[in-house]
Amino acid sequence: MEWVSEKVGQTVAIRVTGRMDAVTAPGFEQECGRWIDQGENDLMVDLSNLEYISSAGLRVILGTGKKLKNRGGSLAFGGMSPMVKEVFEISGFSAIFPIYDNLESALAAR
Amino acid sequence: MTPVPAPGKANGLAFRMALFILTSTTLIFGVAFGYNYVYSRDLMLKNVRENATHLTQALVRRIEGKLISVEQMPRYLARHLDNRNVTRHSLGVMIENMVAANRDIYGSTVAFEPYALDPEARYFAPYVYRNEIGGLVATHLGGDHYNYFLWDWYRLPRYLDRPVWSEPYFDEGGGNALMATYSHPFYDLSSGRPSFRGVVTADVSLEELKAAIGSVSLYQSGYTVLISRTGRFLAHRDPDRIMRDSIFSLAEALNLPALRRVGKDMIQGKEGFLRIDGLDGEGRVWLCFAPVPAIGWSVGVVIPEQALYADILALNHTVLLIGAAGFTLLLVVVVGISRSITRPLKSLVGATSEIAHGNLDISLPKIAVRDEVGQLSQSVDEMRLALKEYISHLTETTKARERIESELKIARSIQMNFLPKRFPPFPERREFDIFAVLEPAKQVGGDLYDFFFLDEDHLFFSIGDVSDKGVPAALFMAVTKTLMKGIAEQNRDPAEVLDRVNGELCHGNESSMFVTLFCAVLDLRSGRLCYSNAGHNPPLVLHRDGSQKWLALPPGLVLGGMEEAVYQSRELVMAPGDKLLLYTDGVTEAMNPEGAFYSEARLLAQAQEGVADSAESLVARVMASVRRFSAGAAQSDDITLLALSYKGTHASGGGGTSVI
Repeated sequence: MEWVSEKVGQTVAIRVTGRMDAVTAPGFEQECGRWIDQGENDLMVDLSNLEYISSAGLRVILGTGKKLKNRGGSLAFGGMSPMVKEVFEISGFSAIFPIYDNLESALAAR
Repeated sequence: MTPVPAPGKANGLAFRMALFILTSTTLIFGVAFGYNYVYSRDLMLKNVRENATHLTQALVRRIEGKLISVEQMPRYLARHLDNRNVTRHSLGVMIENMVAANRDIYGSTVAFEPYALDPEARYFAPYVYRNEIGGLVATHLGGDHYNYFLWDWYRLPRYLDRPVWSEPYFDEGGGNALMATYSHPFYDLSSGRPSFRGVVTADVSLEELKAAIGSVSLYQSGYTVLISRTGRFLAHRDPDRIMRDSIFSLAEALNLPALRRVGKDMIQGKEGFLRIDGLDGEGRVWLCFAPVPAIGWSVGVVIPEQALYADILALNHTVLLIGAAGFTLLLVVVVGISRSITRPLKSLVGATSEIAHGNLDISLPKIAVRDEVGQLSQSVDEMRLALKEYISHLTETTKARERIESELKIARSIQMNFLPKRFPPFPERREFDIFAVLEPAKQVGGDLYDFFFLDEDHLFFSIGDVSDKGVPAALFMAVTKTLMKGIAEQNRDPAEVLDRVNGELCHGNESSMFVTLFCAVLDLRSGRLCYSNAGHNPPLVLHRDGSQKWLALPPGLVLGGMEEAVYQSRELVMAPGDKLLLYTDGVTEAMNPEGAFYSEARLLAQAQEGVADSAESLVARVMASVRRFSAGAAQSDDITLLALSYKGTHASGGGGTSVI
């Protein structure tokens, strides 16, 4: 899994590509943690190019979301492939995280 | 462990080195020796040829000098007698003076035609010769016992009208010696036309000539020969051959055509240097020959090849001796050097053999020399230390892995011990049939399933998946299952159960671990199914008529995610013959070696085929299909399947009460 992150205004945008599973998820968790440690509270993750997400990936997302929530920040998703969207819906994650159609509209909505 | 070659093989190196060096040295020496031999032989032969030619020429000159000096006196006397008459007395004085004046002349006569000087005497030939002690003896030739008119020395000049050297002969009744005679004719010129009156002769003793040429020696066993115009031996090493044999009779006797050809060349006055094989008792000889033109003889110098090469052979023996000594010395040096190389190698081999057998504490032999062997020893020592370190590291790693594996074993045991594994669990109940299986992954995921009766008619069942692996997941699974059972026994609404379990799990859940869970309560009398879901995959509903659908689930977050999460219950009425298939994502995400997922589609297909199966058969069918698909690839997640087949109350034999 690879990702590119940049700061757009107050928001940190992270574009993810590949598979998020038990092997790759910890790296993504560290990437998010790095931004949070820098004082960023607003993370926007683009999952349009994510092929697969396992329960380990969901756990990282849940942990990151809880961490941000405790600080008054938020974790949102801009864009999602159908498969990932299904996982989000089944697991109930789509009910607790804001999900937008794509990153641009998500950033614009901020 | 690979067998270490026997240390005895180390000898092979020294042996091979010695063999290689000594063989090549011997070869080089052999080539040099051979070249030297051939070259020096050729040089020697050239030298010999020059020497022999010079010697032969010297002999020819010496013989010819004698002959020419012998010829002078008779020629002079013949000229003198051509025009004058002489008295008997003065003739005798003249002859005597002639013999006395020339030491090479053995004897001399003036022989007249019958009655030419003295009308009284048929024979008149005063003869003076040397006796054994050197004194001169005067006599007369001719008589009934010595008719000199028939002798060659008289006849030939007379008929040929020129001076002639006779063939050597034994002068029986004359000089009584082996001799050759020079005869010069003289004439009576008074009548205007020369008429033959007689000959003046001078004899040369062959003994004298032999002495002159025999004193020359060439190489140890070389000798000189002298042959006459007819090839007869006049001088030879073997006295028996002189005058008796000729070169041609010898060639005949020995059957040597080459010798005959040489003889022909010699009497034809040619020169030559050549080799002759097969001479009696002499083997191979070299012959150098040259003519004596004055008399038509030929001088030869014979050198046996054996004598010729004696020096070279002696030299070769010395060189071979030096070579052998060098070879021995080299052998000693090479063996010494190889030993000095292989000795430390041998001890190294011993040490490495010990290392190979696992003794890493052995100290390597100290090699003081900093050559390749020394470096090798050091490298081996470094290898030993590295191996030692590696093995101790490996031991630690193995221990760590064993610890992890024992933890995994614990996790698996926690997981499995919490699950109902006895099937059929309720043999007395005919209204339904339930079967479940959990196949833990190597790392042990946190899958769980459970079922139990809430009361006589209500069956609670669930399936779930913890979002972690190993001991933490197993513990989380155990906690979830225990909580769920405890809560469900007090509260039979599935949404309530999930809500309360979630509340408990969220409490102090720092690690964000969560569990997906589907749970339901089936009223066995009515077939009414009340269910709720916390983030789990939707179960499959299989109707008796073969149709199938995914169970419509209410939204619900995974358990342990957020305290505020809300869960809802839904209902479905199952008809007798309907089935439910619950599974975890270990089934749909089982991977084959190419990395493809088993997928929901394959699950649907298997369920379609197993529409008439019992719960156990359905689970077995899907499991077998998953195994076929994964083709032995190791799975990263647990695989859990739970099938429930509802049969309705009319099929019940137990305590169920039929309502419908």
